[in-house]
Amino acid sequence: MTAVSPALRILPEILLTLTGVLVMVTEPLLSAKTSRKPLGIFALLGTLAAIAASAWQLHLPAGTAFFNTIQTDAFSVFFHLLIGGILLVTLLVSLNYFEGHSTYVGEFYALLLFSAVGMMLMTSAIELLMVFLGLEISSISTYILAGYRKRSAVSAEASIKYFLLGSFATAFFLYGVALCFGATGSTNIHSIATGVASGSSPLLLALALGMMLIGLGFKVSAAPFHVWTPDVYEGAPAPVVGFMSTAPKAAAFAVLLRITYTGFGTMSHIWIPLLWIMAVASMTIGNLGALTQRNVKRMLAYSSIAHAGYLLVAFTAFSADGLAAACFYTAAYAAMNVGAFAIISYLSGYDERRVHLQDYAGLAKRHPLASAAMAIFLLSLIGIPFTAGFFGKFYVFTTAMHSGLWILVTIGLLNSGLAAFYYLRFLSQLYMQPYDAAQDISEAPAQPAFVLGIAILVAAVLVLGIIPNRVLRLAQAGAATYFPCSGTNAAEVHTQPNLLR
Amino acid sequence: MMLAWTIYISFLGALALLLLPKGSATLARSLALLTTIVTFAITLTAFVQHRTGALLTVTQKSWIPSLGIEYHLAADGISLILLLLTGIIAIAGILFSWNIERRVQEFFAFYLLLIGAVYGVFLSYDLFLLFVFYEIVIIPKYFLIAIWGSTRREYGAMKLALYSFIGSAMVLVGLLAAYIVAGAKSMALEDLARFPFPLHFQMWAFPLVFVGFAILAGMWPFHTWAPTGHVAAPTAASMLLAGVVMKLGAYGCLRVAMTLFPLGLGPWGFHVLGLGSWRDVFALLAVIGIVYGALVALVQKDFKFVIGYSSISHMGFILLGLMTLNQLGLAGAVVQMFSHGVLAGLLFAVVGRMVYDRAHTRDLATLGPMNLNKAIPFAAVTFVVAGMASMGLPGFSGFVAELMILIGAWRAFPLFAVCVGIGIVAGVAYIWRAMQQAFFAEAGVEPTSMQPPLPPISIPERLGAILLIGASVAVGLYPQMLLNVILPALHSPLFDGLRKGSWQ
Amino acid sequence: MIPISWYLVLSAALFSIGVGAFLIKRNIISIFMSIELMLNAVNLAFVAFAHHWHQVSGQIFVFFVMVVAAAEAAVGLAIIIAVFRSRETLNVDQINLMKL
Repeated sequence: MTAVSPALRILPEILLTLTGVLVMVTEPLLSAKTSRKPLGIFALLGTLAAIAASAWQLHLPAGTAFFNTIQTDAFSVFFHLLIGGILLVTLLVSLNYFEGHSTYVGEFYALLLFSAVGMMLMTSAIELLMVFLGLEISSISTYILAGYRKRSAVSAEASIKYFLLGSFATAFFLYGVALCFGATGSTNIHSIATGVASGSSPLLLALALGMMLIGLGFKVSAAPFHVWTPDVYEGAPAPVVGFMSTAPKAAAFAVLLRITYTGFGTMSHIWIPLLWIMAVASMTIGNLGALTQRNVKRMLAYSSIAHAGYLLVAFTAFSADGLAAACFYTAAYAAMNVGAFAIISYLSGYDERRVHLQDYAGLAKRHPLASAAMAIFLLSLIGIPFTAGFFGKFYVFTTAMHSGLWILVTIGLLNSGLAAFYYLRFLSQLYMQPYDAAQDISEAPAQPAFVLGIAILVAAVLVLGIIPNRVLRLAQAGAATYFPCSGTNAAEVHTQPNLLR
Repeated sequence: MMLAWTIYISFLGALALLLLPKGSATLARSLALLTTIVTFAITLTAFVQHRTGALLTVTQKSWIPSLGIEYHLAADGISLILLLLTGIIAIAGILFSWNIERRVQEFFAFYLLLIGAVYGVFLSYDLFLLFVFYEIVIIPKYFLIAIWGSTRREYGAMKLALYSFIGSAMVLVGLLAAYIVAGAKSMALEDLARFPFPLHFQMWAFPLVFVGFAILAGMWPFHTWAPTGHVAAPTAASMLLAGVVMKLGAYGCLRVAMTLFPLGLGPWGFHVLGLGSWRDVFALLAVIGIVYGALVALVQKDFKFVIGYSSISHMGFILLGLMTLNQLGLAGAVVQMFSHGVLAGLLFAVVGRMVYDRAHTRDLATLGPMNLNKAIPFAAVTFVVAGMASMGLPGFSGFVAELMILIGAWRAFPLFAVCVGIGIVAGVAYIWRAMQQAFFAEAGVEPTSMQPPLPPISIPERLGAILLIGASVAVGLYPQMLLNVILPALHSPLFDGLRKGSWQ
Repeated sequence: MIPISWYLVLSAALFSIGVGAFLIKRNIISIFMSIELMLNAVNLAFVAFAHHWHQVSGQIFVFFVMVVAAAEAAVGLAIIIAVFRSRETLNVDQINLMKL
């Protein structure tokens, strides 16, 4: 092991925590009337520093720290950058969201930062205790964020539902961890892998795996554990939904990858069918559910269930490429979904004046730029070429096909054809219906921070769709440094060296 | 090479239209027209210069190296003909939509986006790239119909979009499977066409990809998007739909499905209802399409539905020509792609622009008393000419194409060729009926004073009609013009697999 | 000495009761308590396994679970108060502004 100071391995987390604590401490010192914008800008700077630190970690040799609880490698760095990016954009688009509506907004920024810290810890954790801590740090912060519109009954309802079902899921996850500990005598993923490979107490392990899948299934809102999603997304403030529909999912998917690919790599005959079923159920239920929705936030909630399904398709592939595809798709999905919710938050404002499809009739006339951005995000969600969604889906389905899952691929592609229906309906509302001037709502003009955030997202969607090479290489590097750990598919890795350059 | 600029110029034109200041409708129209004329000039130059029809690489750059995807544009004789067709239809479409007043800039922007993507499909020699352009076509198509359409436009647009997405999903499954089986190193058409896919793989991949493309080509029984889509679409969009978008499907069938999986056309080794291979199945579906389309067109009340169903009948000829697998039939299919593109465009222009925009009805029974052959004689003459060409009268492109396909089919499937005869007879009948009911119903009766006089046919319309008729007549009188480039293309290495298979 | 399976059965029973209560109970506080019950079942399992493997790490895990559960309770009760303020009820059947 090289002598890398352990603190450097969690440098992004440290920076974000310090920023969060400072924001939290400064908040009560300011008078109630003072604008909280400087705090938000400070949080932004902290996030930028954390992103820079993550990028710098790429040059560190891969290794572990803190008694084998943390592992930094290309894989963890990829997710750190992704979560940092989501945080950055969320801060940018919500910088003015609470202006004039809510006091003590500093807490909001601090909670976002803490939540991101938890997620980052999850992605680099190789010890289930650390996963649990990260999961709870991020979850508890997100429970509060979901209810941040304090005076709104809907928001409180979303918060309580998220809290109850989230804790319920955590309990399942924990029980799985306990059983896993019982079967292997360790909670370290690499030790678990050894224990699993030895083949003792398979029943207990299968049960443990099932429990953990249920717990993580809730977190990523995969069917059949998706029931909370539409309600929570409908009630929570739109910028928060953008954040919590992408970042925690990315983190939970990273954990799922570590657990299934590394920890239970030799039991793939058990979890592949389970994930297969979850993937099909998520895609189908998500898309069918979205077809009937008239509330845009609920519609996008169902669409996010469907996208979790596409991601699970990549998982099911169980190959280095599948892993890279999953990483890439998480990034693509994050860019388009945060964008879609950011535009909704702008158009409907703090008090959510535009929640139904018909409220968006003809808005392209009044908000040509916001509508154009929305159109790009929606086209990407459909999977139209030259957007992130298209290439992401293409890559996911290619790798799944490579692993011989052609039934799954067929179901997935038919689903994405079907999904076009409700996205196109939203688009046609924006562009085709006559604009009803009676419904005119005067929005505050878009602030520079918001415009910058949207510009970053649009650029991300287009870059990932047109020249995905750099992100692709990073994702593949993450997969390559990480995947051979499981040792099972090493042969396959060698047969396709051209894919792993 | 200049050909790549057809794509870029179209996209740039679309962008420029969106950036134009509001309220300059004439400027927007002129800009769009100029763009299409430039692209047409490029395709025409390429067509004239490359009389050999050999493969012509336009540009080849690495795009996503880790997946072996290239930005590879190239054209052979078949592509050149379809590029030329796209150029002609694009100009005519703009001439025939000169009267669009609502959201002009956006209309032409979507229009040029569609044209650019169509050029892209015809030029792509990397299958990923081809699929990219193929998918892009769907979005402007949807918007053109849903915003500027007429009868049940949202329904028609959505149905068209969903059929397209489902079709492309099937295509993608087949392409991905081929890519994986071939070692996941390259998406280039030549590489995959050269790869010897196992027989059992081709046996399921071929019908999958073929049907995926054939949905867009209007193959019976997956044709139902076509009549509703055509009827809902504004004139220019129905011209593009029938003229080039349906050709995308047929082109995909030939260029992708048949080129990659030639063994899929071979015999199954057993017979079901007398059918012994996918080739027989698709030939039968094509014949059913020909006869069914013609018979249904015969009983339609809506003028545009007549043309919509006639398109299905004519597209059936193309698919039948492809399935003959002999040089005559295949060449005929390509000529028919050109011919039907021009003629369907012309027929839709007459019905949608010349008649409907003036009379505001397409009901044949209502049109009759209006005495259209007196009111708008140019429309009547154009329709008569286009109708005769569509029936397959000698001297027009339709005659050459259908004759070639018929002879090819006679060699391959004598029984089907006889059935096609029924379709041809019905084809004469529905054109005759539509012509008689719409234009010459009450010949001799003076227009009643109740009706305001219909506005005369404008200059752009006349120019567009002359352009399309000219193209059809030119091919009809001198088919060698197209055959000279088609035949070398059919003999290129790309079609080796087909030739080694059951080529006759 | 009591065999480990007894503890595990008890733990599984507690967990199942927790799950059942979570699904059946209508009062938010009761639902919340059933989650705590599930967590305690987890703790019991951890302690039993730690004893079985002679590993202290299982017991350490229990401490963390307890700490986190306390934090979760603090936040959860705050959210419950927020809900009660806005709806004046703690019955989940009446907290139905959004269709489930």
